[in-house]
Order: sequence, then structure tokens, then C-alpha cells
Amino acid sequence: MTAVQAEKLSKRYGDTLALDGLDLAVEQGEVYGYLGPNGAGKTTTIRLLLGLHRPSGGRASLFGIDAWRDPVKAHRRIAYVAGEPFLWPALNASETLEYLANLHGSIDTAYRDVLVERFKLDTTKRIRALSKGNRQKVQLVFAFATRADLLLLDEPTSGLDPLMEVAFRQTVHEAKERGQTVFLSSHILSEVEALCDRVGILREGRLVDEGTLAQLRHLRAQTIEVTFADTAPDLPPLPGVQVERAGHNALRFEVSGSVAPILQAIADRPVLSLTSREPSLEEIFLHHYDSSDGRAGD
Amino acid sequence: MPATRAVARRTLADARRRTLAFAYFFLAVAAVNVLGYRKSYPDLAERIRFARSFGDNKAVRLFYGVPHDLLTTGGYAAWRVGGLMSIFAAMYGLLAAVRALRAEEDTGRAELVLANPLSRGAALGGALTGVLAGIVLLWVATWLGFVITKLSVGPSAYLALATVAPAAVFAGVGALASQVAASRRVALELGSAAVGAALLIRVVADTTGGAGWLRWITPLGWSEEMRAFAGARPAVLLLPLAATALLLAVTVPVALRRDIGSGLLPARDSAPPDHRLLGSPTRLALRLERASLLGWLIGVGLFAFVIGVVSDSVSGIGISQNLQKQLEKLGVGAVLTPSGYIAFSFLFFVLAVALFCCSQMAATHKEESEQRLETLFALPVARRAWLTGRLLLAVAAAAAVAMCAGLLAWAGAVSAGADVSFGDLLGAGANTLPASLLFLGIAALVFALVPRASAGIAYGLTTVAFVWELFGALLGAPEWTLDLSPFHHVRLVPAQSFHVGAPLAMLAIAAAASLAAVLLFERRDLTGP
Repeated sequence: MTAVQAEKLSKRYGDTLALDGLDLAVEQGEVYGYLGPNGAGKTTTIRLLLGLHRPSGGRASLFGIDAWRDPVKAHRRIAYVAGEPFLWPALNASETLEYLANLHGSIDTAYRDVLVERFKLDTTKRIRALSKGNRQKVQLVFAFATRADLLLLDEPTSGLDPLMEVAFRQTVHEAKERGQTVFLSSHILSEVEALCDRVGILREGRLVDEGTLAQLRHLRAQTIEVTFADTAPDLPPLPGVQVERAGHNALRFEVSGSVAPILQAIADRPVLSLTSREPSLEEIFLHHYDSSDGRAGD
Repeated sequence: MPATRAVARRTLADARRRTLAFAYFFLAVAAVNVLGYRKSYPDLAERIRFARSFGDNKAVRLFYGVPHDLLTTGGYAAWRVGGLMSIFAAMYGLLAAVRALRAEEDTGRAELVLANPLSRGAALGGALTGVLAGIVLLWVATWLGFVITKLSVGPSAYLALATVAPAAVFAGVGALASQVAASRRVALELGSAAVGAALLIRVVADTTGGAGWLRWITPLGWSEEMRAFAGARPAVLLLPLAATALLLAVTVPVALRRDIGSGLLPARDSAPPDHRLLGSPTRLALRLERASLLGWLIGVGLFAFVIGVVSDSVSGIGISQNLQKQLEKLGVGAVLTPSGYIAFSFLFFVLAVALFCCSQMAATHKEESEQRLETLFALPVARRAWLTGRLLLAVAAAAAVAMCAGLLAWAGAVSAGADVSFGDLLGAGANTLPASLLFLGIAALVFALVPRASAGIAYGLTTVAFVWELFGALLGAPEWTLDLSPFHHVRLVPAQSFHVGAPLAMLAIAAAASLAAVLLFERRDLTGP
């Protein structure tokens, strides 16, 4: 069954079209990375998935339950971590965890205690006295301790230090092993690269690319650098290959698809070394935002 | 200096809505009183009768202070406008200072400002200058209210100054409270307690024989003693000036020395867990609002007690028969028996309970503006159930405040030996509820429709409706316009008998508005700050 589904989902705020006919499907058990720069519509998507805002068009559903019409039923199966932790300043962390657990209905208290330990959360501190990172930990501990079928995480690690980032990744892996679905909205590419099975890239309210990391890479140009024993030769134009000089005795090739034409062209040259590199997620990501028209690269 | 000016401008601009609302309110009250007096008491004979009937009426003094000259328009304005509006001026000064100083720190904006190349002194000076500018604006507005109704310009300026002077003193109190407390809420609680104490002292001074000297120890009494239009005593102006200077002299060194974000009162950052009232959003709301509710119960209870005590000194003996007519012109009804006086006073408790209802909806909206509702409604919590629970809690709390007023008024009256019945006064308390709940319903509807402006609209409507009830009749406004104010439909229980019709209608409207609010809230987007 599909855990998260958006069909032609749109949201307009006044004159701004924040989300423009989004189609999205996240299957159960997947860890899905939702990428996009600030203002691309990531948080809008999550608000629509939570039924906090009403779609201007289309439909959002969680486990087949309409997010706007039946939010309470949908929310029994999910847990949410907001990018900005908005909690009750007068409560301390332990009271907050208890209150949220009461509202959610169930919580794995043993696992909660493990997480409190893992995230080094001081539960006697009042929320108002906690830094942003520490308030974020309260949300994370609660969300993972619910053992909910679906975790909606909106930039969950903003404010966390590198040690806690490690703890977070471990916790996501544990959730995945239990078969939980994770929807991770982020702009921290290394995190998405390390955790996610599938990635969607959002730009100006539209999904411009989607797939597994391998698929995304396959579609993108890979970079091949060739160093020659002497001055780099002038090669005839090669179909589907971009060539540029990288110093006096090296060439850099950008190629999508087969690398055979390059190998043939340099086969009888004095090649010293050849390195090939797959594009990083960062390059794929930047590729979508550097070009002027929204559909570049497709 | 440019940095100081920038902070001052920012401070003034941040508070513009509240400042303009207050300025408009002050201008309107000033103008309406002058016009109303001229219309109701056009000749000297009428005015002498009016003055005789009110000269010794302690009960009326409770709200407006001691009248010094009721034969001239200026003297009347000094009593009615100066006496009543100086209380609002005090609240304005407190709110303005706490907002400019403590709220800026609460939100973390103060750190952002101080990270720039400007000294703490410059930032503090800028904030205080901005507050002062708001007070000056209030002064000019009040003055304008007198001038456009053709009171003489110079003395009007002096009367407006007397009216607004407490704003400066309580801005000083607010500034000091902002150093003492580590949160906006606690600073406002401390400051409100000070305003309450100042008012209570004035009430005792104005209504108790031999206690007149007490006027000299309360800033609200100083405004009276400035005696605008009645043998002005400008030297008294030195008292608010000195008090403000003294408060700032204590405030400034603390403000310059302490850690940003902290207060002199230690903030308890850690606490052992308290597991009570965590079961549902309504229970948590009760837990978070109980301190504020206690404050309201104490404040309202204290004033109800004083009103009960004073009610015994009211008597019709020796007062001209004309009084009834005069009082009716003020829309006041019979106040010549203890229960009549209490009945009249309870009109003010209708206002108090209505404002309490507005404050409950304001706290409800704060959950949304501070975005905690996003956390809440991402959980399996239904919006309908949440708002319904919150409204029911507000109704229960409003009922507690109302019954507390009735109970304490009875206790006060009995302790002074007045002849009133327990049931009557509990009835007076309960009688404040229908109109108050009507305002709760309206506030809820506004919250559902225009969340960001909801608190301002709710407080504004309540205040305007009350002022219209007080002054509309004085202006000779047509009956149907008076009927628009819910306060006009509140019977003066126990002096008048309780009629079930109007309260029932108000409760029905309140219920309909609340229902609409719940349904509409469910269908709209959540909003941010």
C-alpha cells in the first residue's frame, strides 16, 4: 500500500503558487528524500499531507486516507517532526513527551528511554530553557518512540550537532529495519544520500526529478578526466560528449550514456591516467537549479 | 544617535496598532463627554441640581474619583474623562514599556539589535523614547478630543496631561518589571498588580471618610489632584515626573548590567515532572491558564469586596428627588440603595468578565500564532474537539470569575452591615454571564475568520460596546443604536428584576457564533505569526 500519495496536488497562497500539480507516491517501507531549496514548497507539501492547509487542487492522502477530510484517522498512523520545534515553553521535556504521547495514544516507552539516552536529552529542563537543537531532540525522541508507520520529517536535523546527526541516522536505520516509512524533507544532501532509497527534487512547486540515486546518476552526465603524457590532443567532435581542457595535458569529458566514443577517440594516444567519477547528489541537485528553465536536464 | 533613533522608530512602529486604537478611544471619550454634558445639562440650574446630587455620592466616585467642579463643562470633563481614562492610560504605559523592553528580549530580537555597533544605553534609550512618543501621541489625541468640542485650548492641554500622566509612571513600572521578570507574561503580571493596587488605593481614598490623604500615594490620585478646570495645581505634576524619573533611575543600571534574556527573579529552568493535567489539550490549557485565572479571581474579587463595603454608605436620604432623573440620563438607574448601587457597579463586572473572555480567546489564538497548533494537529487531535474544549473551558472560567464577583460583593456588603441577600448577589454575578459569553462567541467567530487580527477586534468591539452604553444615552443617540450594544440589554440585577428574554437571546447568539466558529475553523488553513 502507498504510504504517501499526492495527486495533482496544488496550493495557492494569494498570488503565489506554492505547489503546482505535484504527483508523488511513497511506498511503505521506503525512505524517501524530498529535496529542494528554501521556498521550493517542501513545507507546503508537508502541511498539505498533514491536513493543516487545504489543497487548492488535487488530493493528498496517507495510507489511502484523505489528509484534509480525515486528518485524525490519518494521524494515528504517523508521527511528525517540524523544522522549527514549536512546543509549550512552560512544560519540561519529560512532561512534553508525556503530553504528546497522551495525544498520540500510544508510545513505546522502553524505546523512548533508549532514545532519551541516545540523544542525551535532559528531561527535567523546561522547553523555554532549551536551545533549538535540544527542542528538536524532544520532537525526534517522541516521533521515533511512537513507532508510527510513517514518519514525516521536515528538516529534522537543523540545529543538531554532528554527534546527534549520527544518532539520528542510526535511528532512521532502525526505523527502516522495522519496516517503517520515512518521508525526509531536507536540503542536507549528504544526509539524503546516506539514508534515502529514493529521492524527489522539487523546484518552484514542481517535482523536476525523481528516482533512486542510481537512476538519477544514470541520467546525469558522468565526468571522465584523462591525463596525457604530453600536450592534450585536439579531438574531433564526439556525439553526446562535452570536452574541455583541464590544464595543458588533461581533458575533462562530460558524458551521458555510453563512454565508448571517448575510449575509441583516445585509444591510440599516450594516456597516463584516466579517472571516472559519478555525479554526486550535489551536482545533480545544483544541475536543476543552475539552469534558467525549470525543465533543464530532463 | 542614528541607532537610537532607529530603535525608537521601530518601537513606535511595532506598537502602532495598539497606540492608534488607544488614541482614538481617548479622543472619542474626551469629545463625547464634553458634548454629552452640554446636551444633558444646558443651563446653570440643571448643572447645580446635577452637582448637588453627585457632590456626596461616594458610590459614583469609585469609578471617576472626586468631582471638584460640576458646574462647568471643563470641570465635568476633568472628573469624568480624567477620572476614568487615567486608569486606561496607566494600562497603556505598562503594556507599551513591557512590549518595548521585555517582549523584545523574549523573542530574541534584542540580541539581534545589540549585536550591532550600538551600546546597551543607546538601545534602551531608543526603546524608552519610542514608548514616550506613544504617550505623547495619546496626550495629543486626548487634547484634540477636548479642542474639537471647543473647550479652551490651554486648560485642555493641561487636563489631557493630567489624564495621560499615569501612562508615564506606569511605563516606568513596566520598564522596572521588565528587569525583574524574565518573561513578558510575568512582567505584565507584576505591572498589572501595581496598576490594580494604585486603583484600589484611589478607590479607598475617594470613598472612605478621612482617607483622602491616600490620594497622594497613588499615581491615579495625582491626576485628580492636578485639578484641571477646577483651580489647577500644576506643581502636582512634579509627582508623576519624579516618580517616573525614580523608576527609570532604578531601571537603567539594572538594564545595563544584567545578562540579556535574564531577569532579577531567578527563572526556574529545570523542574521535576508534574504529571497532572497532561491528558488532553483542554486539560493542558487549564494547567497553563490557571495562574492567569487566579489573577483575575483575585483582582475581580478584591474590587467586588470593596464595592460591597462601599455600598453600605450609599443612601438616598438628603439627596434631591431629581437624582433619579439625573442618574437615568447617565444610563445608570437606581443606585441609592446598597443593592441598587451594587447592581449598577456590576455593569463594570460585565465588562471585566467580557474582557476575560476576550483574553481567553487571545490565549487560544496565541497557540496558533506561536505555531504550536501545527505540532498539535499533526497528532490525532480533531480541530473541532480542540476548539470546543477550549471554549467550554473559557465558559467555566468566566462563570468562576462572575460568581466570585457576586460572592465577594456579598461578603463585603455583609461585613459592612449592609442589608443585602446572598441569593441576590449571586444572581448579580450570574447576570454578568450572558453578555460576556456573547462576546466570547464573537471573539471565537473572529478567531475562526481573521485569526491574525482576532484579539484586537475582540477587545476593541467589547470596549466600544461598553463605552457606547455609558455615553450613548448621554449624547441623546437614537434608541436603536443603543440597542446595538449587548451591555444595553443587561438588567441591573438585583435592583431590577431578572428578565429571561434578553439573556436567553444573547446566549443563543453566543452558541450560534461558537458553533459557526468551530465549523469555520475546521475548514481554514492554520496561520503563522
